[in-house]
Amino acid sequence: MKETLTPTKIALISMICGLVIVSALIAGCTQSTPQGQTTATTAAATQVPATAAMTATPIPSYTPSQSNLVVYTAASLTGASNTIGSSFSTANPGITVAFDLDGTQALKTQVENGAYADVFISASNAYTNTLKNEGYFVNGTVKTLTTNYVIVILPASNPANITSLADLANPGVKIAMEDKTVPAGTATIAVLNNLANSTYGQSWKNATISNVVTYETSEPAVATKVALGEVDAGFVYQSTATAAANGTYQSITIPKNNNYLQTYTIGILNESQNQAAAANFEQFMLSSAGQQILTQYGFTSP
Amino acid sequence: MLPVEGDNLMVLKYSRSKNYRRNLTYLAAGILIAAVTLYLALPIVALFLRMTPDLFFATLHDPDVASALWLSLFTTGISLTVVILVGTPFAYFHSKYSYPGKVVVDTLIDLPLVLPPAVAGVALLVLYGRVGILGRYFNMFGISIAFTTLAVIMAQIFVASPFYLRQAKSLFEQLDPAYEQTARTLGASSLRTLVQVTIPMTATGLVSGAVMTFGRALGEFGATIMFAGNLPGVTQTMPLAVYVGMEGSNINAGLTISILLVIISFGIMIAVRLIQKREADRA
Repeated sequence: MKETLTPTKIALISMICGLVIVSALIAGCTQSTPQGQTTATTAAATQVPATAAMTATPIPSYTPSQSNLVVYTAASLTGASNTIGSSFSTANPGITVAFDLDGTQALKTQVENGAYADVFISASNAYTNTLKNEGYFVNGTVKTLTTNYVIVILPASNPANITSLADLANPGVKIAMEDKTVPAGTATIAVLNNLANSTYGQSWKNATISNVVTYETSEPAVATKVALGEVDAGFVYQSTATAAANGTYQSITIPKNNNYLQTYTIGILNESQNQAAAANFEQFMLSSAGQQILTQYGFTSP
Repeated sequence: MLPVEGDNLMVLKYSRSKNYRRNLTYLAAGILIAAVTLYLALPIVALFLRMTPDLFFATLHDPDVASALWLSLFTTGISLTVVILVGTPFAYFHSKYSYPGKVVVDTLIDLPLVLPPAVAGVALLVLYGRVGILGRYFNMFGISIAFTTLAVIMAQIFVASPFYLRQAKSLFEQLDPAYEQTARTLGASSLRTLVQVTIPMTATGLVSGAVMTFGRALGEFGATIMFAGNLPGVTQTMPLAVYVGMEGSNINAGLTISILLVIISFGIMIAVRLIQKREADRA
């Protein structure tokens, strides 16, 4: 018998071949992309600078829901968050609070890239203002929530025998602090500058900074390294030292006049589909009940 | 014999439906190939589209980017050297001899492949850290491992060596023992047999195992940030610099290093292809 090739058949087969060839070509092209950067060049010329917030369709990491509030929260509130959540739910039955705790710099980037949240608690005025200027907050909802001072914590056994701030510059002392993008890191650098200018001098500051063995990406990560005894000292917030169980750390306070008062803000995000509950939550945090919890965890009421 | 009309029709019908089915298969295959290719390729393309070349080259001079690049190449270079120098003879002996507990060793070799890297980092920290089980004794002699470049290398070796060990092990197991036996009967020592017979005969496979190890070590993140910390120039490798850059305000640095890593990864893969092709041509 003989196989007949009708025009429809030929069309179908060539279509399939074409599809396969095209996909192979795509594969080939993309494999050569690193060399053939020129293709990317022309397309990229019309692109917005990479720092601008992406406007791609947001894929919420949480589903908006009437009974669940998503609160993006600065990591330094980790200790207080459980108490806040349960107290709020007791006062507002039927509404649960999910805290997403991370360095404010990370939370900010997530919101800018389309993450869904109802409320944003920031440990940095600077990041709050950036988000505000970019239009993420509901007008008029950004309020000062609380404040926090920087403190030095040491492992309970104090392996490096640190008894004063001056000792931080001793040779061989291992210090953990936050990366400069983390609000607590910015605050720590300010504190070091203040201390150097007022009391200890520039060489103390340089020696202290050269003792830093790691720049962690959140404030609790520094506390963990100290609690484990892997470093001799860490710069964290007062609240962390206060909230920790007795005997976890030793601490050295930094005089108020040389300290850096970090201001925390709370605000409701425009994208929130649960504005009423979000407003309730903000009100609760600013009320005496909310402030009392924060004080209990070592924060300073503004 | 007379042609039977009905039979012919049957055959025609049959072949028609067969062709139809074959075409459908081609169509499905084409769509599937295109979908998978696009799914894998588009994110990489997007990285390049997000950056202008000017910005890319300008960001390369960012001190954090430059130091992360050199630190990554330095540490992965050392890790790879250690894995090859220790791993090759290990895999050779492991495949040639049977010994008690061999199954356990086999399992341990595979373990880092399924273990989350962050867990590997925590495990390394509680062993070698300053107050760790072994680390406290090192500390007595003034040796500290955690939060140093050495910790970066140790983390990389821990998570990446299985790629090389597994490959070398199975190559040595599969190699026809006749070649080695011949060399031995001709009077070659076991070391000479390994260097002049076994390794050359398995070189292509060993190289692809080494390249996979290099790639995995270069991408190491979780174990490094747990065990080695994050200090620019000392322990901040390229993946850590991407993380810190994307988290904070230096998104350009994050994107630039990501693109560099894509370029290096492609370079590695092309190198492996070329080596394998040359070997295939020679065979």
